[in-house]
Amino acid sequence: MQYPDSISKLIESFSKLPGIGPKSAERLAFYVANKMKEEDVLNFAKSLVAVKRELMKCPICGNLTDKNPCVICRDTNRDKSIIAVVEENKDVIAIEKMKEYRGLYHVLNGVISPINGVGPQDINIPSLLERLKNDEIKEVILATNTTIEGESTAMYIAKLLEKIDISVTRIARGLPVGGGLEYADEVTLLKALEGRREIK
Amino acid sequence: MIEIKRLSLVNFRNYISLDISFNKKINIFLGNNAQGKTTLLESIYLLAISKSHKTFKDKDLIKFNESFCKVTTELTKDQNQLTLNVVISNEGKKVLVNQVEKRKTSEYIGVFNVVMFAPEDLEIVKGEPINRRKFIDIEIGQISSIYIFDLNQYNRILKQRNEYLKQISQTQKIDYAYLDTITEQLSFYGAKITSNRIKFINKLNKFARNLQKYISSHQEDLYINYLSNYQLKDNINQQQIFQLYKKNYQRDIIKGVTKLGIHKDDIRFIVNDIDVSNFGSQGQQRTTALAIKLALIDFVKEETNHYPIVLLDDVLSELDDNRQTQLLDCIKDKCQTFVTSTNISGIKKELIDKSDIFVIENARITKEKGEKYGKQ
Ligand SMILES: Nc1ncnc2c1ncn2[C@@H]1O[C@H](COP(=O)(O)OP(=O)(O)OP(=O)(O)O)[C@@H](O)[C@H]1O
Ligand SMILES: [Mg+2]
Ligand SMILES: [Zn+2]
Repeated sequence: MQYPDSISKLIESFSKLPGIGPKSAERLAFYVANKMKEEDVLNFAKSLVAVKRELMKCPICGNLTDKNPCVICRDTNRDKSIIAVVEENKDVIAIEKMKEYRGLYHVLNGVISPINGVGPQDINIPSLLERLKNDEIKEVILATNTTIEGESTAMYIAKLLEKIDISVTRIARGLPVGGGLEYADEVTLLKALEGRREIK
Repeated sequence: MIEIKRLSLVNFRNYISLDISFNKKINIFLGNNAQGKTTLLESIYLLAISKSHKTFKDKDLIKFNESFCKVTTELTKDQNQLTLNVVISNEGKKVLVNQVEKRKTSEYIGVFNVVMFAPEDLEIVKGEPINRRKFIDIEIGQISSIYIFDLNQYNRILKQRNEYLKQISQTQKIDYAYLDTITEQLSFYGAKITSNRIKFINKLNKFARNLQKYISSHQEDLYINYLSNYQLKDNINQQQIFQLYKKNYQRDIIKGVTKLGIHKDDIRFIVNDIDVSNFGSQGQQRTTALAIKLALIDFVKEETNHYPIVLLDDVLSELDDNRQTQLLDCIKDKCQTFVTSTNISGIKKELIDKSDIFVIENARITKEKGEKYGKQ
């Protein structure tokens, strides 16, 4: 049996979302058609369009924003000498929640991963290099994930900055705070040892 | 001392539900073909390593047309009682120790170790290099979760590098900073893995050499040689390996694939100065396969302080009297052992006397009274 056109289109749209396979897409589409109130559907549709129309990537840092430039880039109270380089918007949110970091951000929007068709030029690295021409910047913190691709991306950026007079740091990996050593798994423990620092 | 006291299976391959207890060090499972003997050993192997020895597809272990399977064991390790669970379902695999889920393999691996003897062992000696690499990786992985991590990292970055090399030949564009980066990462893990493999082979060699001598009544001298594809004499380090890769950039770019690395390593078994894989007699090859497996028992003891559990799948009746005796000496009173066979007649009486015998028929188990098998 052929589905009505509008349902087929909705299924197709849902299956474009990450983590949604054809089966789930079908389930969601029929849920919308049969169970959702019209008012909710309208709100849903409106916010879908709104995030796309009203939000944009900050031309400076690449973070998702409804203002140009974003609230962080325009905040005069922030320390403009430090940039934390992160993979995704959600990493900015995670660091902001902490309320300790006062520097700026640069959102790469991904990591270098040839098997996913993402090369060095496909993430926001050129715009980072452009930003760093500004003398004000003294330190770049590479805060990509600890996956092997996160490491590659951090190492690659560090290489590009080798000849530039800016200090480049990598966030530490290690033990969860408040936990005893005996509860850490061996790989985490090893990385914590490798990342040890002198205190005397 | 580690001893499995109880084993239960639910929807595991041909078993719907099984619950057995063990009281003895040696347990023999007898049964015709396709009744579920190997499956029992496989479940014990799975509990130790969190993988099957037969398949890397966890879902193959679920009974046909079922949605999950579950394997549970109660074991004693020195004075401690432990319960282990492995559950495989559509959501993946869960492993639990004393009912607490362990999310990382490194938190689970090594609760207890196994050494499995199977007819396929001969392939380690006679087969392709990949069989030997698999052997090494599984055995080091059993005692070091860091090794497993390093190996996974290596394989992942190798895949990225090969894909990048392919893209270079398609686009004719090379970003050397990126190629250097992933090559450095490959060199870092390549160096670590090479050193660990060489260390492992040296330790194994020490034990296997003695065993080969005994089994062959001092006729055969075994030497295991690790053939590192990097071919570095000593002082294996990341920088040296990185330079080797750098020298081969052009070749790799033209071929679109990484030619050099631990994925090309191999080992040679030298018996009385000849390469036994290619030129050994059947008997020498069998002795070698047995010696390296037996050597693992000592290796596991040295590394973990505990003897492994020994699984003998269909191998006992394959071994002549002398080799059986040797094997028995190695496990005697040290390792709890699970043996499968289609036939009791090939098994030495000395072993039968010490064991409990279970008969398996169509995934059902009955414990036999000993007299039937001439036990005192
Ligand atoms: N996922 C599964 N679901 C149901 N049955 C399975 C599954 N996988 C394998 N089997 C069946 O389980 C049975 C037992 O296999 P097993 O390898 O344990 O036999 P065995 O007793 O060791 O036989 P042999 O003496 O030939 O080695 C076989 O008939 C096999 O086809
Ligand atoms: Mg079998
Ligand atoms: Zn911004």
